[in-house]
Amino acid sequence: MNISSILVNAGPQQISVVEAGLATLAGVEVHAVSDEGRMIVTIESDGDRETTQTYEAIQQLPGVMSLAMVYHHFEPDPEKES
Amino acid sequence: MSLTRRDFIKSSAVAAAANAAGMAVPGVSEALAQQKNDGIRWDKGTCRFCGTGCGVLIGTKDGRVVATQGDPEAPVNRGLNCIKGYFLSKIMYGKDRLTQPLLRMKNGQYDKNGEFTPISWDQAYDIMADKCKAALKAGGPRNIAMYGSGQWTIWEGYAAAKLWKAGFRSNNLDPNARHCMASAVTGFMRTFGIDEPMGCYDDMEHADAFALWGSNMAEMHPILWSRITDRRLNAKHVKIHVLSTFSHRSCELADNELIFKPQSDLAILNYIANYIIQNGAVNQEFVKNHVKFKKGVTDIGYGLRPNHPLEQAAGNNGYPGPDGKPKGDPNKATDISFEEFKAFVAEYTLDKAHEISGVPKENLEALAKIYADPKTKVMSLWTMGFNQHTRGTWVNNMIYNVHLLVGKISEPGNGPFSLTGQPSACGTAREVGTFAHRLPADMMVANPKHREIAEKVWKLPAGTIPDWIGLHAVAQSRALKDGKLGFFWSTTTNNMQAGPNINGEIYPGWRNPAVFVVHSDVYPTVSALAADLILPSAMWTEKEGAYGNAERRTQFWRQQVKPQGQARSDLLQYAEFAKRFKMEEVWPAELLDKAPEYKGKTLYDMLYANGEVNKFPVSEQMKGFENEEGKALGFYLQKGLFEEYAAFGRGHGHDLAAFDVYHKARGLRWPVVDNKETLWRFREGYDPYVKAGEKVRFYGHPDGKAVIFALPYQPAAEQPDNDYDLWLCTGRVLEHWHTGSMTRRVPELYKAMPDAWIYMHPEDAKKRGLQRGDTVKVQTRRGEISTRVETRGRNKPPLGLVFVPFFDEHRLVNKLTLDATCPISKETDFKKCACKVVKA
Repeated sequence: MNISSILVNAGPQQISVVEAGLATLAGVEVHAVSDEGRMIVTIESDGDRETTQTYEAIQQLPGVMSLAMVYHHFEPDPEKES
Repeated sequence: MSLTRRDFIKSSAVAAAANAAGMAVPGVSEALAQQKNDGIRWDKGTCRFCGTGCGVLIGTKDGRVVATQGDPEAPVNRGLNCIKGYFLSKIMYGKDRLTQPLLRMKNGQYDKNGEFTPISWDQAYDIMADKCKAALKAGGPRNIAMYGSGQWTIWEGYAAAKLWKAGFRSNNLDPNARHCMASAVTGFMRTFGIDEPMGCYDDMEHADAFALWGSNMAEMHPILWSRITDRRLNAKHVKIHVLSTFSHRSCELADNELIFKPQSDLAILNYIANYIIQNGAVNQEFVKNHVKFKKGVTDIGYGLRPNHPLEQAAGNNGYPGPDGKPKGDPNKATDISFEEFKAFVAEYTLDKAHEISGVPKENLEALAKIYADPKTKVMSLWTMGFNQHTRGTWVNNMIYNVHLLVGKISEPGNGPFSLTGQPSACGTAREVGTFAHRLPADMMVANPKHREIAEKVWKLPAGTIPDWIGLHAVAQSRALKDGKLGFFWSTTTNNMQAGPNINGEIYPGWRNPAVFVVHSDVYPTVSALAADLILPSAMWTEKEGAYGNAERRTQFWRQQVKPQGQARSDLLQYAEFAKRFKMEEVWPAELLDKAPEYKGKTLYDMLYANGEVNKFPVSEQMKGFENEEGKALGFYLQKGLFEEYAAFGRGHGHDLAAFDVYHKARGLRWPVVDNKETLWRFREGYDPYVKAGEKVRFYGHPDGKAVIFALPYQPAAEQPDNDYDLWLCTGRVLEHWHTGSMTRRVPELYKAMPDAWIYMHPEDAKKRGLQRGDTVKVQTRRGEISTRVETRGRNKPPLGLVFVPFFDEHRLVNKLTLDATCPISKETDFKKCACKVVKA
């Protein structure tokens, strides 16, 4: 179980475009959006690889100007272990 | 249960992001409070990677670093991380950490061609001491050398500099920052007479325009880039100009993208200076009071070996000529007037700049206007595009020319800003003065007054510190190959991958039977595997440390965990090694007669148990944290070294605060006077060294004036021709830090970017019958490597140029690069040589 949070910067006019793009990505959730176009987004995935792939995919979305990582947590998934 | 746990973690993640962004997200604040109760000890620290100097919170549990997060209280990054910093907790735990000393042996003996065999630390120090003593006996202090880095902690670099310059009396000590920052340093010293940026990161929130000159901040300084992005988004008038020899991620945010032909940045800068003058935009009062003009010598060569045709033709490279005397001095400059400068740059018209650079005229003019417009505050930023340049010193001088002509400097939002690539390129390599020509606090070994000051602080008899400039990085490689060094110690860096022309110079040098090569490292890098003795080092938070970032911010961290296996900090390695030398074995009798108190003592006694360095007891260390050095030596070594070192700069414009202050603060920007940091140097009201009424004073020079240099455009050392028809540029990528010795061991980062491919223009690929993904050979006059073609990636080179990152140890692109340097700074140009690409 990998859970990460990132800050995505979109231009104020690009918010809806970026939101639409984010909606196409698995495990991605938008928690808050500011008027200036800053978004708090989480990525949930099962493995290391998916997290970085998703990060890369967000970077490539139209309207995304920059993104920064904030928090990362990894631990074995209790459901899968049992 | 699992749902609760998952929700809890997600809330923590969202809360951290909300905190960093200054945004409110309802319902998550409780998560942060709960976070404190999961058995993790959190303490402040500093990121291990680039020169940005982000603050991180380090989570330790059961003797292991288990988590990190951006430190919300850190002024640099305000809770944010880049992807490398995000996975910091994993860099120490690669499966192949070096945990014991390894010596090349055959039949139980050291053998240059033997197999690496585990030995004890005592055996390791013994053979090192034997080999070092033999080298000193055979060739004196010039026969030994050390190569360190901008990743040394401040006290490690200081202890190494003292060991070499005071102990062994050898100035053959240089950091890898020579490959990275040396041109920035010589640029500062020539223009301002004092090193390091006058402004700080706060400029990013005040500037109206940004110009990136040879820096891909979006990938290499992502956190600072996010600050610039924020500024751009929050203030609609802000514009971003990006100059590069190929299109990259920073260009995505650019309002003005300028893709120029390699080396033509020199012409563009002279054009801007000319534009400012021609359009009456010179800040006359500023120039009259705070600036003087000089013309530098030209014809300075390219830092190649003396037998190279370019050096034989050069009249001012400083090399010995046929009569044995140096041919001129590449650093020389003569006074000129403003009118002479004006005439000098007059030939750099818009037409000429366009012709040399290939940049459309409207883009050049748009760039020139931001500098010329008195109402636009401009921040210029650069890294390796400027520094790794055979005219690196010049191009640094020339960006200052532009800012000085319009007086846009040393005030919020206006400033030229030299970014750094290593966590302590500034704090250690530059401020401590671990270069072959420097002493602490910007002092020089060639200056008798400076040597005298250092000898006093270090309690040395007069004449101890040698007056000769030691071997710089590239000169060390050449001396090794030529058999002119008998003992070589490389540490905290990976020159067999990062240095230029590995095939031609570095590898034959290290494997030369004449030399014994010691390499201190944390993983079996290509450098470690090319050495004769490998010492396992403690890394990052396995020791107490301090770094200084690009904005003059000195930051400390405590030791969080024990080193793995038998690994020891580099600091402890120097201290223990010094114990193996009697003073009589390293100093001549006549010198020792001047300091009889050192007779019968060891180097360790003289350097580190000298009454200063050992005066703070271990009881002053923070309770609850380990300190291996204190345990081994019985005193607080880090504090003693720092306080002795700080004496060099206090009262001289390089003031550091008291040691204990840094363990509490989130870093402080020097000069720190009366516990107050300095954000903008050289300007009254911000800098305590500028007196009331002076307004601006560039006090690095005795007359208080900065220098504008008249310097021309000149071509690169090697250019594409019929045989080698493409420019080869090397560099970095977001996921990996430099040679990847740490980041390639983090599974997430390795998988995100496993291999270094060659980025090329689709048309260039097509012309050679290549498709994306094809395996190719990249060849230069120095060697070849195999890799695969990328035509659609994040980097988009123009026709005629290819880009290959250097993080990949399986494709050593530095087998291909040319060891041409700036003749003043001696920094290699990794950005320009000629190559060809053929199908494998």
